[in-house]
Amino acid sequence: MSQRSERRGIHVDQSELLCKKGCGYYGNAAWQGLCSKCWREEYQKARQRQIQEDWALAEKLQREEEAAYVSSHSSSQTQPPQSHSQPSLATFSKFEEKKTNEKTRKVTTVKKFFSPSSRTAPKKVPPEKESEKREKEKEEKLQGRRESHGETLLRDLKGIFTQPWDMGSPTEESHEGKTPSPSITRQSSIETDRVSRDFLEFLKTLQKPGREIHKQSRAFIESMGNKKDLSAEELSECVQDFYQGMSDRLLNHFKGSSEKVDRVMDQVEKYIMTRLYKSVFCPETSDDEKKDLATQRRIRALHWVTIQMLCVPVDEEIPEVSDSVVKAITDIIEMDSKRVPRDKLAFITSCSKHIFNAIRVTKNEPASADDFLPTLIYIVLKANPPRLQSNIQYITRFCNPSRLMTGEDGYYFTNLCCAVAFIEKLDAHSLNLSPEDFERYMSGQASPRRQDDPAAWLQSGSRVNPALSQIHHNLSVLSNLEKRQQQVMEGAQSLQTELAEWQDSVAREVQEILERYPLEIKSRASAIDAENVENDRLPPPLQPQVFAG
Amino acid sequence: MTAMRVDAKVVMLGKESVGKTSLVERYVHRRFLVGPYQNTIGAAFVAKALNVGDKVVTLGIWDTAGSERYEAMSRIYYRGARAAIVCYDLTDSSSFKRARFWVKELQNCEEHCKIYLCGTKSDLIEADRSVRQVDFHDVQDFADEIGAQHFETSSKTGKNVDEVFQKVAEDFSSCALEFMQEEKGVDLGQKKDSYFDNCCHN
Repeated sequence: MSQRSERRGIHVDQSELLCKKGCGYYGNAAWQGLCSKCWREEYQKARQRQIQEDWALAEKLQREEEAAYVSSHSSSQTQPPQSHSQPSLATFSKFEEKKTNEKTRKVTTVKKFFSPSSRTAPKKVPPEKESEKREKEKEEKLQGRRESHGETLLRDLKGIFTQPWDMGSPTEESHEGKTPSPSITRQSSIETDRVSRDFLEFLKTLQKPGREIHKQSRAFIESMGNKKDLSAEELSECVQDFYQGMSDRLLNHFKGSSEKVDRVMDQVEKYIMTRLYKSVFCPETSDDEKKDLATQRRIRALHWVTIQMLCVPVDEEIPEVSDSVVKAITDIIEMDSKRVPRDKLAFITSCSKHIFNAIRVTKNEPASADDFLPTLIYIVLKANPPRLQSNIQYITRFCNPSRLMTGEDGYYFTNLCCAVAFIEKLDAHSLNLSPEDFERYMSGQASPRRQDDPAAWLQSGSRVNPALSQIHHNLSVLSNLEKRQQQVMEGAQSLQTELAEWQDSVAREVQEILERYPLEIKSRASAIDAENVENDRLPPPLQPQVFAG
Repeated sequence: MTAMRVDAKVVMLGKESVGKTSLVERYVHRRFLVGPYQNTIGAAFVAKALNVGDKVVTLGIWDTAGSERYEAMSRIYYRGARAAIVCYDLTDSSSFKRARFWVKELQNCEEHCKIYLCGTKSDLIEADRSVRQVDFHDVQDFADEIGAQHFETSSKTGKNVDEVFQKVAEDFSSCALEFMQEEKGVDLGQKKDSYFDNCCHN
């Protein structure tokens, strides 16, 4: 990567511009410094080779996975490896076809001239990266979760034409959408790998049924790969049907122990959704993305809404409260970075817990829903979480329903849905404003903060921004300190003058007394101190004596 | 707490300050207004396990925001609820009007949701009868009409509080039993499809 980023600058060196093959034509960074003709040749060769290698590796991995199973269940019947690799053959070649399209198409996009992407660089990739890349491709093949080139193209264009702040937070996924850099895709592939491994480990503890679960899950993921054209609702139905069928069978198997079923289902959900995430999160067939942008714009337009308007029982002047508020905001933003619906829910729950803490510290009593919902709305307005609608839709569609409907996570999720619905429908009435004021605030003609006198503005401003409030707080502390120091200084000075006066007065008094009673010294011989001759007659002072031995 | 499995969703509905939260607090933590609040961070969601006969039923009790500004969203709250405790303040007739609104909503949208009408602050009425604004018999008639249970409770004295939730749990339990039996009939027919059974017999 570093090697390539050096290349990103503009070089005027003639040799850099010419085709690497030395054919005399100009090269292009997007084609690894080759001219179009040489590039096509090179690329075809490299690709052909890579396909072969990918194939071999995919088969090898497939066998390994099978072997791992067989060895862990040596008693159970052996599954011939072909039975699995056979159906995947079709998807794989299909995927390769798509990839070709994608690559050749992508070269022509405008984006190429701005940021040389790495996707078109199969040759340049160092060997260790290449192996990982193949791994990744193998993963993708298994899942069939490759996004179609149309979608990528769309995103690429968006990456160019939308301003960066329009795209939400710099999360892993939004990066992936814009500039698919190898490090990020590799990361996600490592994640899928890890999840798969965990899943396998977990299933081993279940012994025989584990194998069945694995087989079913994989078959399901593969079948989902062929259903990309379905609408989001249909996809959701497929997944929910799968959950239902699986949990029914598990319930049968575990003789009704619902806890065990839940545990297995959690793992199944994690495995499946990590792999399907790319293809079913915010799918092209839905208008989730449009809704995301609409919500984001809406929240940005509502930046002027204050705590008072929402009646939020939170006092951000208290450090612990503002801490909790910041944590809540972080959590709700972080939610977008997770793949598994349950992990996303966990972040919503954690966000809610921080909100509860903020309310409890402010009010000194536990929060009720009447406190909680406005605060959550406030947090959502402040955080403007990326892809909020997509995330909500994703959770609704693909989360295990038993969790979503009843449990604690479900409660907070429902509240989040309410908060979003409220924000969408929000009008003058719901903020206790007059319609005219609301219109003016919305259009940006006026701001609720600037209307009042500057002092009030400062105050409400401090409420809006914790950093500002912190600054105000610090300023007041400083001025307090200054005042106190002045007082101390004054005290010290007065003490000094007092001391000086006292000294003077003492001196004066002494003088007065001295004058009143002048000292008359009569010469009188003293027994010891007087210098007299008898001094010689005194015994000599004692000397330390040393005894030998 | 998160891991706790919840059997039934119970929503608390009612106007602001009718005492929804107090009712839940009283029931779950056996306290009213004063108490060691430090232990709980919020009373908005509680999972409470009850004994019904020889079974344990866990109720997930959802507190909701009663303010009128959130009225449009209340439908999101009670989606999938098995029971709704609609609260009204016995000393505030407007709160009962709002209760009627929720009952109508529930009847329209959630047919599987059982409704429990719950008058709150009955201790105030016992202290001074003149503050009562909602007549007992009016509500009883209304309850009969909609097929709902009716209670008058006090979160301060604890009167009828346990009874409400016990009733909710009992109704749910008997309801679930019927449901289960119905399902079992279907299940037996499908048993052959189960590949896990196959697996275990091998």
